[in-house]
Amino acid sequence: MKKIPYENILLFKSCLVNVEYPGVESSTRYIFDKLGVEYRVDPDQSCCTGLGYYYDLFDQLSTTALAVRNFYLARRSGHENITTLCSTCYAIMKKTIKLLNSNENARQEVNDILKKAGLSHMQYQAGDLSSENNIFHVVEVFYSLKEQIAKKIKVDLSGIRIASHHACHYCKVYPEDSITPFRNPMVLDELASSCGAQVVDWYDFKKATCGAGFSQRFANRDLSLSATSDKLLALEGETDILLHMCPNCQMQLDRYQPVLEKELGRKLNLVHLNIAQLSALAMGADPYKIAGIQTHSVPVEGLLDKIKVHTNLE
Amino acid sequence: MSTTQSKLEKNHPLSKDQEDTRNPEKVGVFLCRCGGNISHTVDMAKLKDSIQAEFVGEFENLCSLDCRRHIREEIIERDLDRVVIAACSPITHLKTFQNYADLLNPYMVEMVNIREQCSWVHSDSEKATKKAIELTQAGVEKVKKALALDKIIRQTEKSAAVFGGGISGITAALSLANQGVKTCIIEKNPTIGGNMVKIGKVFSPEKLAEECSLCILNPIINEVINHKNIRILTKTNLLRAGRRSTHFKIILEKETGFVHEDLCIACGRCVEVCPVDVPDEWNQKMTTRKAIYKPFSQAVPDVYTIDLENCIRCGKCEKVCTMGAINFNLKSEVIPLKAGNVIIATGHESFDLNKRPEYGYHRFVDVISQMDLARILGVNGPTQGELLKISDGKRPDRVVMVQCTGSRDEKDDGKRYCSKVCCMVALKHASIIRERFPETEVVICYTDMRTVGMYENYLRYVQDKGIKLIRGRPGEVSKKDDKLLVRVEDTLERKPLEIETDMVVLSEAIEPSPSTMRIAQKFNVGLSQDLFIKEKHSKIKPVNTDMERVFVCGTAQGPKDITDSVSQANAAAAKVSEQIKNGTEAEPPVAVIKTSRCNLCGKCMDICGFKAVYRDEENMAVDPMACRGCGACAGLCPQEAIEIKGINDLELYAQIKGLLSDKKEKEIRILAFLDNVGYTAADTIGNNRLCYPEAIRIIKIPSINRIMPHHLMYAFEHGADGVLMAEYPDECMLEAHKAKIKELNESVKNQGIPSDRLRFYKAYAPHYRGLAQQFTRFFEDIAASN
Amino acid sequence: MIKKDHKNDTDSLLEVVIKDYRAYPEMGIKRCLQCGLCTSNCPAARHSDYDPREMVKMVRDNNPEIMDNPDIWNCFYCYTCGSNCPANNSPCIVNQILRQKILLKGEKNTRIYKFLTYGYSYMDFGVGSIPSDFFDALVADFGQMYVELKINLEDIRHDLGLEDYNLKGKALNEVKSILKSSGFTNRLKKFKECHES
Repeated sequence: MKKIPYENILLFKSCLVNVEYPGVESSTRYIFDKLGVEYRVDPDQSCCTGLGYYYDLFDQLSTTALAVRNFYLARRSGHENITTLCSTCYAIMKKTIKLLNSNENARQEVNDILKKAGLSHMQYQAGDLSSENNIFHVVEVFYSLKEQIAKKIKVDLSGIRIASHHACHYCKVYPEDSITPFRNPMVLDELASSCGAQVVDWYDFKKATCGAGFSQRFANRDLSLSATSDKLLALEGETDILLHMCPNCQMQLDRYQPVLEKELGRKLNLVHLNIAQLSALAMGADPYKIAGIQTHSVPVEGLLDKIKVHTNLE
Repeated sequence: MSTTQSKLEKNHPLSKDQEDTRNPEKVGVFLCRCGGNISHTVDMAKLKDSIQAEFVGEFENLCSLDCRRHIREEIIERDLDRVVIAACSPITHLKTFQNYADLLNPYMVEMVNIREQCSWVHSDSEKATKKAIELTQAGVEKVKKALALDKIIRQTEKSAAVFGGGISGITAALSLANQGVKTCIIEKNPTIGGNMVKIGKVFSPEKLAEECSLCILNPIINEVINHKNIRILTKTNLLRAGRRSTHFKIILEKETGFVHEDLCIACGRCVEVCPVDVPDEWNQKMTTRKAIYKPFSQAVPDVYTIDLENCIRCGKCEKVCTMGAINFNLKSEVIPLKAGNVIIATGHESFDLNKRPEYGYHRFVDVISQMDLARILGVNGPTQGELLKISDGKRPDRVVMVQCTGSRDEKDDGKRYCSKVCCMVALKHASIIRERFPETEVVICYTDMRTVGMYENYLRYVQDKGIKLIRGRPGEVSKKDDKLLVRVEDTLERKPLEIETDMVVLSEAIEPSPSTMRIAQKFNVGLSQDLFIKEKHSKIKPVNTDMERVFVCGTAQGPKDITDSVSQANAAAAKVSEQIKNGTEAEPPVAVIKTSRCNLCGKCMDICGFKAVYRDEENMAVDPMACRGCGACAGLCPQEAIEIKGINDLELYAQIKGLLSDKKEKEIRILAFLDNVGYTAADTIGNNRLCYPEAIRIIKIPSINRIMPHHLMYAFEHGADGVLMAEYPDECMLEAHKAKIKELNESVKNQGIPSDRLRFYKAYAPHYRGLAQQFTRFFEDIAASN
Repeated sequence: MIKKDHKNDTDSLLEVVIKDYRAYPEMGIKRCLQCGLCTSNCPAARHSDYDPREMVKMVRDNNPEIMDNPDIWNCFYCYTCGSNCPANNSPCIVNQILRQKILLKGEKNTRIYKFLTYGYSYMDFGVGSIPSDFFDALVADFGQMYVELKINLEDIRHDLGLEDYNLKGKALNEVKSILKSSGFTNRLKKFKECHES
C-alpha cells in the first residue's frame, strides 16, 4: 500500500465543496485537528479546472499550467502532500504530474506558458512531484488513520445501514493507485464500519457513475437522471445513508433525489453524507456548525434524531 | 611486436611447459580440389608447393570413401600426429574427416575452409591462391598447438523424481518406469489424479463425444500403483534440492495424516464418528466432508487421512479404528531422495474469481465456475450429475457462460495470455447440458471462439445441439428479483443486452500455481513472464528447462489441455530416458574449473546464462552438458581457474598469427571472429557465390566471450587492420555480451586504436547478405582511411 | 468498411488520438479486442445509442463519420470503460479527444457556448463555478431552497469557520496571465465568436 502522509498536507480546496457542501471542508479540518494531522489551506490556490476540463472547455495545457502554479504554492510552503476533497481534483492533478514527468514536449510548452506569463520561477522540472507520492484524496488519510478514528467515535451508529458510493474519478481514472482494489473499492465501506455502522454489501450499480456526467447534468438532463435513478432505485430500502467522497456525486444524488422522488411519487428514505461529515458527526461534531448539513437537499435531520445527535445551535 | 607476443604467451598459464616438452609435430596436409570447385580458382600446384608440413597431398574429392584409405595410409606411413584438411566447411564435413583420420584423436584434425571462404567468394585466381596458402598454413600452425581431448560422456543416475501426480506426472512416470527407470512421484495432495479426476468428462473431438475421465484414468492409475519401478509419495513437499554431477539430491517432507498408510484398510468407520464438517475441495466446497477423509472413493493411495488444520483431536476415530491405524503421535517425515533427473509436472491453479467481484462469484450462489459446473455434472458430484441450481435445487431454464474470465486481460490483476482450454471446456459442458437436459438453454458469451485444429469439428457438433453464441465480454452480473442478469454487448448486433438467467458459469483462467514457483526456485529453474516454468526453447526444446536434467510437462509450463499435457509428458520422459540410456556426449569446447585455484567467488555462476556452473558440496563445478564453452566465465575468473577445453589460447594465437602472416605493404587484413551462426552465414555467402574482399580472414569461435583483450591486442600487433566479431544474440547471454563488448571496446580505446577498427555484428543465419555487406563495408572503410 | 486516409499530410484519427496530451503512453487502442466490455458497463450505452466499442472501431478505421455522430456527446466521462478494459484502452479518453477536435473545428459550439461562463468565472475569481446559463434550470429542479442556499452561502461558510475562496490581487493576476499565455482566453473568444456568427 502506498504511504499516506499525516503532515505537510496541502488541503486542496474544491469548487463544489466551496459552494455546495462547505461542511465537507469544515468536517475534514475538524477531523484532521482531532487526529493531529498537520495541514495548510492556501488562500492563493486556484481551482483544479476539473469541471471545465470535463465540460470540454479547458484544454490540457491550460489545466496543466494552472496546476503547476498550485504545485509551486505547495512546494513554497513545504506542503507538498496535496490532498483533495474531490475525486476530480485528485484525478486532474495525477494526470498533470504524469504528463509533465513523461512528456518532454508538454513540459516544455507548459514552462513556456509560465515564462510568457512572467512566472518563470514556477516552472516544473521532470520529477519535481510524483503522481503516486504527492497526490492523495482525503479519504486515504482517513483510511490510514481509521483505528484512531474508531477510538474517537462518540455516537452509536450500530442501527444505521450505510452503502458507499466510491467516486469514479478516484477509482477508475488511475485504478492502480486506488488504496483498495479498484474492482471492489472498500475505502468508504471500511471507514463506515470504523464508525460503527452496518455496511451494505455490494449492490447493483455500486460501481456505476452518479450520473452527473459533467456537462450531461446540464446539457442532457434526462440522460443524466436515468443513470442517477439506476443507482438510487437499486438502493431503495437497502440503506439509510449513501456515503460519498466527492462533492459532485453528492450534489447529483442529494439534489436530484427529491426530483426523482417527485416523479416516482414516493420517498426513497435515504440521506447523503460525505465520509468527512459522517465521521465528524460520529466524533461529536455539531451538525450545523461543523458538518454543515443545512446545505443538503435531502434533509438529514431525521437521521440525526435516530442517532441522537443534537445541535447546540441557537 | 615480438616482445608483446612473448609477454602475452608467457602470461598464459598454459604456455611454455607444454610446448617445450613435446617432439616436433608431424602435420599432414590434405588438399581437396573438390571436383573443380576449388581448383578452378585456386592454383593447386602452387598451394601444394607453398605449404610447409611433413606431408602435403592433393586429391580430387577428399570426402570420397576412396580418400579415407589415402588419409589412413599417410598417417601410418609417415607417422603423422595431426592432420589439416583444406577443403570445405567444418560444419558439414568435420565429423567425416575426424572419422577418416580416426587413428588420431579427433581434436588433432583441423579443417581449413578454402571453398566457402576462398574459391567461392573470390574470383581473382592469384589473390585467391595467395589467400588459400595463408589460410592453410595458419591451419597447420593452429593444429600444431592442438591438444588431444577425450569426449566427455556423462552418465546420469538411472532414476527420476516427478513432481506432481496429475495426468502429466502420472504419464511421464509410467513411461519412465516402463523403460526401467526408478521413478518417484511426489504429490502434495493426499491423492494422485490431479484435476482430471475432478472434471468428470473429457471432450473427444475425434469421436464427437464426451468420455468419462475417471474411466480413462483409472487403468493408468492402477498401473502406476502396481508398478515395481514407481514409488508414490503423497502429502509430500519439496524442502531442498541440490545439484550434483550425476544426480540431484532432494530432501522431501511427507506430512503426517495421523494414519499409518500400511495399516489403514479404508473401511471408513472413522468417518462415521468424526464430528467436524469441512467444505469439501473435491466438490469445490459445494458439499462438506469430515476432518478425517478420503478425497474421493477411487483415491490413491486408498487410505484415510486427517486434515490437521481442521481436526479437533477428539480421538473418536482412533477409538473406532479396529486396525490401530490412527495415531495422533505420528510426525511428519523427512525423506532424502537421489534422482538423476527431475520432471516438473505440478500443474496449475484456477484464477481467483473473487478478483472479478463484478461477476458476483462470492455474492450469488448460482454464479459458479466451470470447475464447479464440472462437479455438478459429475455423477459422483454434489447433485449426482443432475443439473440443478445450488441455491434452490431447481433445474435452470438458462445457463450463461462467461468466457475469458481473467484471461486475455492486460490489467494488473488479469492474465495476459489466452488460457487455451476454456472454449473447449465451455463447449463440453454445453454439449452435456444440451444432451441430458435439453430443456435448459445454453448461452456462451465469448470474445473469440478458439477451437483450433480438429477441435473445430467439436464446435460444429455442439452448435448442432443448439447453443446460443454471443460475441461480447460481459461487464457485470447482477440480480433482479430471483433472476441473475448478465450485462453484455452483443457486438455483432451492436446492442447492449441484459440477459436474464438462472445460472452463470465463469470460465476461469488457468494460472501458475505457487507450488510450481516454489519448486522452480529450489531447482533454480527459470520462469516465463507469466510465471509458468519456462521451456528452454518453445520450438525445439519444449520440455527442457534452462536447467540441465530438469524437464517440464503439462500446465506447469503453460495453459494446455489433457491431449497436449500427455504428449508433453511423454516427450519429457523420452528426454529423461535419452539422458539415462547411453549417457550423453558433451562436445568440447567446454569450461573446466581447476578447483585447486578456485576461491569460490561465484562470479562464473552469476555470469553463466546457460546455468552450467553450480556449487557442488564444496566446489564450483561445470555441467558439461549445459556448457557451450563460450568462455564468459573464464574471462571473468579472478583466479584464472577456468580453462576452455577445445579451443586453447595457443591455438588461437597460432591461428591469428598465421592468418596475418605474409602481409604485404598496404595490404589490408581483417580478422572476423564468428560464432557458429556467424560461421554458417559465412558458408552461405559462399554457397551463393557472393563476393567479398580477400582481406577477410575468418576464425571460428564458440562465442565472442571467448575473446579476451590480449587476443585482440595480439591481432592488432600482428598486423590486423580491423577485427569484426559476429555472433547470434542469444537471449541467455545478452548481459555477458554487453559486458564483453564494453570490455573489448575499452581495451581498444586504451591502446589508442581507432574505435571503428573493432566492430560487432549480430549474426543471423538467413541474413548472410548482411554479413557479406558488413565484410565489404569494413574493408572499404579501412581502405578509405588508410 | 475500412477507409484509408489518402492524404499523407494529415494524421489519421488514430494518430491524432495517440499523440494527444489527454492520451497516455500505454493506451492500448491499437490492441482493442472489440470485446464490448466497455459498452456493457457504459451508463451512456445503457440509456442512449452511444457505443464506445464502435467509436473506438471507427477511430481505428479512420472513419470520419464518427465526428458527426451525435451519440459521442453522451459519454459521462466516468472512466468505467477504461478501468477494466482488457486491452488497457480508454474509450473515455478517446471520446474527450474527439470532442476537442470537433470543438476546435468550430463545430458543436451551441453546446460549448452555454458552458463559457465557467471559464469567465475562472478568469474573474480563479475558481470555476456552475455555468450560470443553467442556474434557472437547476432552480426549477432543486427549488427555492437552492436560491436561498446561494444567498446565504457567505453566512453559512462563516458559521463553519471557512474563509473566502476567491482569489484576489497578485494571485488572481497570476492566474489571468497564465490563461492568457496558454491561449485559453483566446480559446473562449473563439468559441464565443463561432457561436455568435
